[in-house]
Amino acid sequence: MATLPYEDIYQLVREPIEMAVLARHVRAPEDGAIVTFDGFVRNQSHDRATLYLDYEAYESMALAKMREIGAQLHEKYRIHRVAIVHRLGRLEIGETSVFIAVSAPHRGAAFDACRFAIDTLKRTVPIWKKEYFEDGAVWADGELPPTPTATRRGKPAS
Amino acid sequence: MPHVSQTIRVSVLFFGRLKELVGHAEESLEIGEATTIEQLFGLYAVRLSELAKYRSSVVASRNQEFAAWDTPLRTGDEVAFLPPVSGG
Repeated sequence: MATLPYEDIYQLVREPIEMAVLARHVRAPEDGAIVTFDGFVRNQSHDRATLYLDYEAYESMALAKMREIGAQLHEKYRIHRVAIVHRLGRLEIGETSVFIAVSAPHRGAAFDACRFAIDTLKRTVPIWKKEYFEDGAVWADGELPPTPTATRRGKPAS
Repeated sequence: MPHVSQTIRVSVLFFGRLKELVGHAEESLEIGEATTIEQLFGLYAVRLSELAKYRSSVVASRNQEFAAWDTPLRTGDEVAFLPPVSGG
């Protein structure tokens, strides 16, 4: 995998995400813009009042996939630094579950990269949320990540 | 001399609703050499018919990379069965 700039941050945390610290971290004198994405817990889902959410992850793989997204950002866009942090465990309404900050010399690349990062994260990073309601809990509908189709070397064992 | 089949040891992980169905998150398992990911899933699905119903909405990974179902496993592999992801 491509080497990521050492200033980048990719983390899974169980405490509140320090958004201001992360936004400051990606900010550098040679940049002209930072775009941030703050994803937080909504108070309802499919017209039912949500009490709270519980997030779990396949942590080693989730971090690897988050770094992979970072590598793609640096490859595709003229950006400077990236921070992608996802929180796990129980989150209350209004608490931030995911935060992304991207700095760049110019705003266009920062907007595009931030959008690409959250869209790709939601499709490919192995994290799951369970939604708790007054009358029960359900695993949130998710997206099935794109996976390799049949390998040529994988002949079925008899 | 007949071919003596070897066994390999892999760890198998389940997440989300699959973990709840199977009843545990991780186990170490001894299986026949060259068992594919599909066949490994089948070992669980024959015991848990509920799990079999989810087959079309599960993806698999091998050593933290998404993997095709016909991937043959090697000893020491970490295989995970993942339901649709819902982070963010």
